[in-house]
Amino acid sequence: MTISNETLMAYADGELDAAAREAVESAMREDPQIEKCLSQHRALRERVQAAYSAELSEGIPQRLLTAAKGVASPRESKVVNLQDARAAIGRTAPRPLRPQWRTAATIAASVIVGVGLGFFMWGRTESPLMRTADGALVARGQLARVLSYQLAAEQSPSSAVQIGLSFLAKSGEYCRTFALSGAVSPSGLACRHGTEWQVQALTQAPDTGGHSEYRTAGSAMSAIFLKSIEGLIAGEPLDQAGEKAARQRGWLSTDHELQRIAP
Amino acid sequence: MNTSETSQIVHEQIVTLLPRLRRYARNFTRNRHDADDVVQIAVERALTRLDQWRSDARLDSWLFKIVRNVWIDELRSRGRRNKIFLAAEAGDNIGSDSMAGEADLLSVQSAMARLPGDQREAVSLVLVEGLPYKEAAEVLDVPIGTLTSRLARGREALQAMLETEGDTR
Repeated sequence: MTISNETLMAYADGELDAAAREAVESAMREDPQIEKCLSQHRALRERVQAAYSAELSEGIPQRLLTAAKGVASPRESKVVNLQDARAAIGRTAPRPLRPQWRTAATIAASVIVGVGLGFFMWGRTESPLMRTADGALVARGQLARVLSYQLAAEQSPSSAVQIGLSFLAKSGEYCRTFALSGAVSPSGLACRHGTEWQVQALTQAPDTGGHSEYRTAGSAMSAIFLKSIEGLIAGEPLDQAGEKAARQRGWLSTDHELQRIAP
Repeated sequence: MNTSETSQIVHEQIVTLLPRLRRYARNFTRNRHDADDVVQIAVERALTRLDQWRSDARLDSWLFKIVRNVWIDELRSRGRRNKIFLAAEAGDNIGSDSMAGEADLLSVQSAMARLPGDQREAVSLVLVEGLPYKEAAEVLDVPIGTLTSRLARGREALQAMLETEGDTR
């Protein structure tokens, strides 16, 4: 008798009733191939389980514990233009309690924070991914490498630096959005300035108990970025071919492009 | 048992489920911070709807389903915005000319990331989270036959990817 692959899979997953199990087992005695398939299913199941087991022992953020206990907690993230942020250092933005994810008004109220200050707290004095040069934040290390070489479509989801969107700005510079993973996790926008990537904006999560926690821009922050990008962008975001061509030219815009975006 | 005792127990159970909820959410948000946002919203939502949870149902499946719905709502509301910070589905790019020298051993995670979303969900619920087929089908709101065929295809694809990447088994 033949046993379908789905039946074998169900057997490996413990989904068969006694009669069906019996049938698989007797077929297995006659055909060693079936046993081989079955052990393949089991090995895959174990391998997948093992690959994801480490995540279970990670520490749980306090805000989730608080949520599970049924106590509403403040949660907001901020997107900051660095110039505004520098001007605002020393000022504290009011933090709304229980903001809604998608309420633009709430987000707007929380935009100004001293990210410049926060940034340097985050990296103590300097970060391996950014440095200051003449008052500007410049990408370096892995961030600079990824910005210069990585095509968005080809990146590995496990890379610490993720590229979002690449586009030509009205200024004639190429810009790319990025997200950094890890415990402290800003996202931002960097534009090619000469041979460097200047970080134009970074996102910052709220100050939680004295530690600035950066986070990737999802949800609310994307909205703000979208807005600022819509103000900057000339035309449409680059597709894969566009990114590739720009990368090949070292992220220098062509005369043709400059003419196109000229007012 | 009175209501407040029940709710106390549920709160405690939710706390113990948090690691799994985060892990599950990461599978589709592809971003841990989004995942935590999704889990937080889902937990808050669940707690306001405890009356909708049938106590004979598994709490984990019920929460997985809420987590998933929160993410679906979020994606809808993001529309094109998600293009900004989320990388293109890696699954769309299989076979594209990827950079030479990046022939690293494909990890289970990156193989998972290349699966089409519906297969990844099935694999994630059954193989990673260990849900029975019936529960997984309920979370995904699909008939059990659909679940098993997605699972079978997902497994096959995973097997193929992990084998071709130098798995010696």
